[in-house]
Amino acid sequence: MNTNSNTYTIIYSTILVVVVAGVLALVSSLLKPRQQDNIALEKMQTILRAANLGADANEQADKTAYIKDLYQQHITNSYILNYKGEVIDGEAFNVDLKAQANIIKKIDAAKDEASAEALKASLKLPVFVCTTDNQTLNIFPCYGAGLWGAIWGYISVEDDFATIHGAIFDHESETPGLGAEIAHEKFYGKFAGKRLEKDGAFKSIAIVKGGGQADNVNGVDAISGATITCKALETTIDSWFKEYLPYFNIKKEAVDAGNSPCGDGCCTDSTCTDGTCAGHDADSLNIESTNK
Amino acid sequence: MQDYISLFVKSIFVDNMVFAFFLGMCSYLAVSKNVKTAAGLGVAVIFVLGVTLPINYLLDKYILSAGALSWLNPEYASVDLSFLSFIVFIAVVASITQIVEMVVEKFSPGLYSSLGIFLPLIAVNCAILGGSLFMQKRGYETLGEATVYGLGSGFGWFLAIILIAAIREKLSYSNVPKPLKGLGISFIITGLMGIAFMSFMGIKL
Amino acid sequence: MNKDIYRKPLFKANPITVLVLGVCSSLAVTVQLKGAIVMALSVTLVTGFSSMIISMLRNTIPNRIRIIVQLVIVAMFVILIDQFLKAYAYDVSKQLSVYIGLIITNCIIMGRIEAFALGNKPVPSLVDGLANGFGYGMVLVLLAFIRELFGSGTLFGYQIIPQSWYVANGGFYENNGLMILPPMALILVGCIIWIQRSAQKDLQEQ
Repeated sequence: MNTNSNTYTIIYSTILVVVVAGVLALVSSLLKPRQQDNIALEKMQTILRAANLGADANEQADKTAYIKDLYQQHITNSYILNYKGEVIDGEAFNVDLKAQANIIKKIDAAKDEASAEALKASLKLPVFVCTTDNQTLNIFPCYGAGLWGAIWGYISVEDDFATIHGAIFDHESETPGLGAEIAHEKFYGKFAGKRLEKDGAFKSIAIVKGGGQADNVNGVDAISGATITCKALETTIDSWFKEYLPYFNIKKEAVDAGNSPCGDGCCTDSTCTDGTCAGHDADSLNIESTNK
Repeated sequence: MQDYISLFVKSIFVDNMVFAFFLGMCSYLAVSKNVKTAAGLGVAVIFVLGVTLPINYLLDKYILSAGALSWLNPEYASVDLSFLSFIVFIAVVASITQIVEMVVEKFSPGLYSSLGIFLPLIAVNCAILGGSLFMQKRGYETLGEATVYGLGSGFGWFLAIILIAAIREKLSYSNVPKPLKGLGISFIITGLMGIAFMSFMGIKL
Repeated sequence: MNKDIYRKPLFKANPITVLVLGVCSSLAVTVQLKGAIVMALSVTLVTGFSSMIISMLRNTIPNRIRIIVQLVIVAMFVILIDQFLKAYAYDVSKQLSVYIGLIITNCIIMGRIEAFALGNKPVPSLVDGLANGFGYGMVLVLLAFIRELFGSGTLFGYQIIPQSWYVANGGFYENNGLMILPPMALILVGCIIWIQRSAQKDLQEQ
């Protein structure tokens, strides 16, 4: 047979392409549910870890079931907010954080108010509500550019809307041993107990060298040698929380208006007895976290 | 515009294909014995990267990625062909090199005799496929960005192979320990150059 | 079958240290042992099976589109591996990221197909492919072992160097940060070549 003729070459390549595409399409459609499960599972685990839950998931025999259970049990509600802090329709779990990060970047770069407003209208900001035995946490995502690739994370905030309960960060391709350390508990563990508030006004967390003293509730210690990654993380957190600020204000007003008998916004309904906080204010949290 | 310039500079120095990601090492080591041939291969790499990246960008954006087919018909929004991306990218790279080879041979025999022999080598140069995969992974947003990234990483590769070829030319007069001669010392020098290039990492662009 | 088929690729004609093939896509995955082992296994499987399939088809492939046919077969196996990793070993797949896709352009695979599979029967081609992949994997695992142990003090993610040795805990030891940076992989390969060529004098270059 003449394997060099045009007809043969064309028939040969057609058959090859059809066979290969068939095999790949079959395998891909068979494995697709499992792959999507993995991605969803990882996201669930990250959200739970931001609320300091599920740290022992890797030691469980059935990790998948364990995480799913935990998620069902604790993440009691989730919703999407618009830039005014109002709830809008949609599934918060499926919001594409990267797309939102791009919008936020454009808002920060916008030249005039009008174009910024127009961009803001398209924002979809997810919030996850986590209920544990003694408190309700709000979990907020953030996503931005690090030194090499994307960095992202979730931060859980207690219901005074100022105290950070926990945080977790991950990255795409930061330098191993330097910037990549943001994904280690040694770093993100420091966020617990810090406050997003200074003198009654919102203030984001500063990640600076030597910023981690026990009495500095607005800053954490940066990783030495990873200045750019830390700076990028700081900016990312700041720019995301700025967009959530209207929601924070709505919630804080609700607290101040007397939903909570304590009225100072530092304790939850359940820890509040006779109009005083039962050992659950921000200061005691700080002491706890530094003692650790 | 400034974005493009900083992406260009970044892909040459900071995200250098050879020193930061080890891509295209095979031809980098095999064709770096003298500067002239190294330059020929380097130019061919710049050219092919600059052509394949925009093509692969369009393919990825309008055919391969999840929901990309919705411009054809909104019903196709749930189709995700991203599992085919490796095969499509490599097919584009292989056919582009073949087409470029034929075009150059036909219209510029002079260029062909200096560049032509390298073109088949390029189809299996990891830097080319790597460029497309990094573009997909990092999600460059516009056609312009993809092209600039392609040209920039091509220049980075060109720079790397010219540098090592020049060093190796000098090195042939040096007294290197016998077991290290040739390959061994090239690896170690590339490593040292990589450390030098890491100083670009701190540059904020 | 000739024993040389599987003996030679391990030392005398090792793909990385002697033939300089397949260095490209893989040095970056040697920061951790786990990634390196998965990468080594993947390359071994892809080299073996694509050699076998190409060898089966070797008399039917039209010469003009030979390279593209080879690339398509190799790419098919790589996609299969990528899909399985994403489904069953998601964390490893994330760690390897684009480097799994780059197996396609790993020169070992194309090199073995061109040099061996196109002229030999399927079974010897399979053995040749597997052996070359294994020879490559050995160097990869060795590199990853050194880099993870000295760079992070762990193996497979488990702490090996006792915590009490570290300076932070009052000891004398500190991880070598250079080991986890990319350039160190190249320097280590250079050293491995140095050692190998000191022992096998016939490999030395003039």
